[in-house]
Amino acid sequence: MRTLDWMVLILSLVTIVGYGLYRGRGSGTIQSYLLADKSMPWWAMGLSIMATQASAITFIGTTGQAYVDGMRFVQFYFGLPLAMIIISATVVPYFHKARVVTAYEFLEQRFDAKTRLAASIIFLIQRGLGVGLALYAPAVVLSVILGWSERVTVLIMAGVVVSYAVPGGIKAVTWTDVQQMMLIFLGILGAFFAAVWLLPSDVSFGDALYLAGASGRLNAVDFSLDPNNRYTVWSGLIGGMFLALSYFGCDQSQVQRYLTGKSVGHSRTSLIFNAIVKVPLQFFILLTGAMVFVFYQFERPPMLFNKTAETRMEQTFEQAGDGLAGVQYQAALQQYNEALAKRRDTAYRLLEARRNGSTGANPGELQDANRAVEAARREGITAVELAGDGRPYDDTNYIFMTFVTTYFPVGAVGLIIAAIFAAAMSTISAELNSLATTSMIDIYRRHFHRGATDRHYVLIAKTATAFWGVYAAVFAFFGGRLGSLIEAVNLVGSLFYGSLLGVFVLAFGFPSVTGTGAFTGLVVGEIAILLTSWLTGISFLWYNVVGCVVVVATGLVVSRLSRSWFR
Amino acid sequence: MPRDLIDDKPPFLNTWGQLYAAIVGYLFFLIGLFYAFTRAYQISP
Repeated sequence: MRTLDWMVLILSLVTIVGYGLYRGRGSGTIQSYLLADKSMPWWAMGLSIMATQASAITFIGTTGQAYVDGMRFVQFYFGLPLAMIIISATVVPYFHKARVVTAYEFLEQRFDAKTRLAASIIFLIQRGLGVGLALYAPAVVLSVILGWSERVTVLIMAGVVVSYAVPGGIKAVTWTDVQQMMLIFLGILGAFFAAVWLLPSDVSFGDALYLAGASGRLNAVDFSLDPNNRYTVWSGLIGGMFLALSYFGCDQSQVQRYLTGKSVGHSRTSLIFNAIVKVPLQFFILLTGAMVFVFYQFERPPMLFNKTAETRMEQTFEQAGDGLAGVQYQAALQQYNEALAKRRDTAYRLLEARRNGSTGANPGELQDANRAVEAARREGITAVELAGDGRPYDDTNYIFMTFVTTYFPVGAVGLIIAAIFAAAMSTISAELNSLATTSMIDIYRRHFHRGATDRHYVLIAKTATAFWGVYAAVFAFFGGRLGSLIEAVNLVGSLFYGSLLGVFVLAFGFPSVTGTGAFTGLVVGEIAILLTSWLTGISFLWYNVVGCVVVVATGLVVSRLSRSWFR
Repeated sequence: MPRDLIDDKPPFLNTWGQLYAAIVGYLFFLIGLFYAFTRAYQISP
């Protein structure tokens, strides 16, 4: 980071805080603090919804994913437009008509207090873990890339978010989301054009696509029916739709965005905006990752993208030269360098053959060369894991940032880092805001202190926002010690979403279902998801389908039985 | 009708139903486009 980069980053952060404070002024009532007086236009809500979903890891991880695995991850988003249509047609008018502040408040109107409480607690657990991770994951990556302490990056992000989310409430959160999303768009566009521009002068964009395709990195669509294949058109359309239905329809961090709409039409349009933009946007981010992959066909990529791990391995070799891990690492490094040189030659020969229409090289050779590079890198990673007592090593999230900080021109690095901070903060602020809202509306006001003044409730909501901010920072401080628990946290969303969705499907779609039926369905559905997770190897995208179906079936059966018993 | 229940017309097309149908069509167009993209650059040895 040079002076200009620092200036871009600091200016971005200061502008975000200043703008958030300016927009959030006058939020003195509950309606204003939590629902922005229902004054938001569709485009602000639409960008806020998108910014909330796009975490920093989505940004840097997705490009890394395309580098490692190609573009098939785009299929994960195929179900999103369908979910947006369903939510827009059903959930949005119901929530507006019910005049609720949280999605779970609606469950009490429709069923009973215990169903509302259970759903609120599930949300608080799940989103509470999520916000810690949303802060921790990018903090780790940024700390390694920038050479700062993890605690510094955590404190910067948490401090900035809390400074505008606490005083300004949802107005501040939504308007800064708009600004942050524009910064993210700018970052993505800049990264894509820089990746193409940085290719060798004799390699055109068409050549880059050809090489990416020959290396299996442009595999955007897969129609196979294998349920263990995580990303296919079917898992994306069906599993992805259920996941998106759960996230956008039942998760307060998203529901609260579109509840601030001026009208049902504005709320609906904000969702439709996401239905139109999200899939092409993800495609574009993944294509950027594929371009980074092609770029590294001609430039030497590090064997380990995590600098800390690389330094540790070099020290391991220097300190205990004949130690197994160190020797294995050095051998892998030599093998890796040789494989890279061979791959670069093959790529050039392949392009030459393509241009001349000759048979001087064929794509199979490039695929073999890629496999050789990957095999050498895997050897190196095995050595890292050996040195780290078997702890798994994954540097997917470091690939894009390594590329940016090593090759981008001055100023552009600051812009990308600012975009990543923005992506992290937009997610965290919306999550803090929704956690505080549920804590205050569904727990505090409903169960502990009814009938107080607006001023009192706004104070509690502000305190709750600050509390969740501190909680997220503490979680992130100790994130490194959680080890594999972090991976488990990633799964948590999928473990809870399906059953939450099932309860809302019962609420909206089945007028005959009783509170007891819905509550029993929620419990049985949750057990079914946990059993599916433990006993089968199916992709997590299907958990939502399983949970939702079990909740609905159980809810219907129990409601019917309970009615016949009482008759 | 209360202010927050006013359901404006969709931003384009005449009814929300038409807009939803257009979005479904758009999604399948995108999948078709991505499939064509995948096939175009699926280069076998």
